[in-house]
Amino acid sequence: MTAVLELEDLRVSFRHGDRLLPAVAGVDLTLRRGVAQGLVGESGCGKTLTALSLLGLLPPAAVVESGRVTMEGRDLLSLPEKELRRYRGRLIGMIFQEPMTSLNPVFTVGDQIAEAIRAHEKTGAAAAAARVRDLLERVGIPDPEARMKSYPHQLSGGQRQRVMIAMALACGPRVLVADEPTTALDVTVQARILELLGSLRREREMALLLVTHDLGIVAQETDRTAVMYLGRIVEEATTPEIFRRPVHPYTRALLRSIPRLGRTEKRLKTIPGNVPSLAERPPGCAFSPRCPAARDICFRRDPTLEEVGTDHRAACWAASPEAEK
Amino acid sequence: MKKTGIFRKLKRRPLLAAAFAVIALYAAVCAWVVSGWNVPSWEKVDYARSYQPPSARHWLGTDVHGRDVLAKTVWGARTALTVALTASVLAVAIGLVLGLAAGYLGGVVDDVVTWIYSTLQSVPYYLLILAFAFVLQGKSISILGKAFRLDGIAAVYIALGLTGWVGLCRLVRGETIKHREREYVLAARALGASRARIMFRHLTPNVFHLVIITFTLGFVSYIHAEVILSFLGLGAKRVPSWGVMIDDAKLELARGIWWQLAAAAGAIFLISLALHVVGDYLRDVLDPKLRGTKR
Repeated sequence: MTAVLELEDLRVSFRHGDRLLPAVAGVDLTLRRGVAQGLVGESGCGKTLTALSLLGLLPPAAVVESGRVTMEGRDLLSLPEKELRRYRGRLIGMIFQEPMTSLNPVFTVGDQIAEAIRAHEKTGAAAAAARVRDLLERVGIPDPEARMKSYPHQLSGGQRQRVMIAMALACGPRVLVADEPTTALDVTVQARILELLGSLRREREMALLLVTHDLGIVAQETDRTAVMYLGRIVEEATTPEIFRRPVHPYTRALLRSIPRLGRTEKRLKTIPGNVPSLAERPPGCAFSPRCPAARDICFRRDPTLEEVGTDHRAACWAASPEAEK
Repeated sequence: MKKTGIFRKLKRRPLLAAAFAVIALYAAVCAWVVSGWNVPSWEKVDYARSYQPPSARHWLGTDVHGRDVLAKTVWGARTALTVALTASVLAVAIGLVLGLAAGYLGGVVDDVVTWIYSTLQSVPYYLLILAFAFVLQGKSISILGKAFRLDGIAAVYIALGLTGWVGLCRLVRGETIKHREREYVLAARALGASRARIMFRHLTPNVFHLVIITFTLGFVSYIHAEVILSFLGLGAKRVPSWGVMIDDAKLELARGIWWQLAAAAGAIFLISLALHVVGDYLRDVLDPKLRGTKR
């Protein structure tokens, strides 16, 4: 599969007084045409920041220290704001977590989607309206003609997220970034939205980056999975591989902590310890203080992401052959 | 359907309906005077009829020159409303743009705007207008190649507009800072909207209720300001103004001539009350959080 977007050695830090706290500490990721890439991790591991930096939409306190986001042979991070805007929406679409607040309350749904089209194309009002209707129909909004005139507060959460998807798709992007797209929705609605995202991705051969903390969603909806811990990808492989043969102790611990249906357990399994704050990044491997298999070297040197199997990379001394020496 | 809804609402609030009627009446009178169609002259001097009390011929009596007080009051409405309208539009335009820019762009822009309005605000309001009016008096400005001389009343328009934007600017700035962090702004950016587009297309409608409220309540204070400045001899000259009428009344009242003062004061009172009623209503409807706060 051809790579559409490549993320290399992305480092993003937060300004805190006169210190820089690394929130994303060297992430490499490739998004491929028609492939759904999952990005999982606990809250605060830098997955949302990674997603936002693809579009250069970082919060004001965040600084990109290094890294490249290559699309169509150009580094998006080095583009001036004005040129970057042409990529946003047109080549990369984005869906956010909160469908309640990510629609502008004072515009009708139709106007809002038309706005997305007209930000990039010179289209007449009638032509734009026709496209909006088609888009709404495609994302499964019943009676699109009438719904176009609705305001966001008149729609349900699931419908609003469908509208967000329609907006993100308006200009036919080649990459779709979905940041926790279903976290705020009911479970039944969740499944239908994910199904919609999946079918749109296959139909349009878009690359999808699905950011979530829900391993169930990852297992169901993605082709590849990257696991993040403290601003770094610790394991990356095809999704079946990750679930069948997890290598990194953190991935294993995450998978173990999923409660199983039908098995009665007194307590849910958790990962001991807490995620360290950005300011107290442990020396060596970031996971070492919580790792059951930690050895001497883990506390001293930070492992790099190495090939550990076919199409399977992990950053762990226990898994890498080099550690044997 | 919608229209009947509005009328039904007004029926349940007779005070509000009356206020709207008063505003409509003033606007109609103003439009009539501006149109010039069959407007009674206020300049017709007739010394034989000096200081006539109200009568069937002169409903509100006459002044020292025998001019009809009702005609002067009606013409005064034109002066007051045009000053207030121009000043409001100017102040709202400045306040909205600067407030949005300060709130959304932040940083240096915010510092500069905040500094300017804090400075303006630290000067007592009427002193500031007086200062502006004095400075602008008699100056010429050229717009599109045409030179305009700022005589008394035009200086007042501009002085009021240049000083009146502070309140709105602060409100808009605060509200914009609140909205800036909402996800829909991030979503708009993710769709490739420019900063200007976000400010004027996405954020403006979300803060526009502040503009409507400020416009209505500001309008009253501009009417008052015009009257006060004219009373002090800095505003209207060669055009009738309620302020000048009140100034005249200083000498008349001791002689028992009350009608000129009553006409001007009544005209100011009615429009002020009506605008306040409407403004309060709008504020309650559009921004419940602002209830009970002072402008």
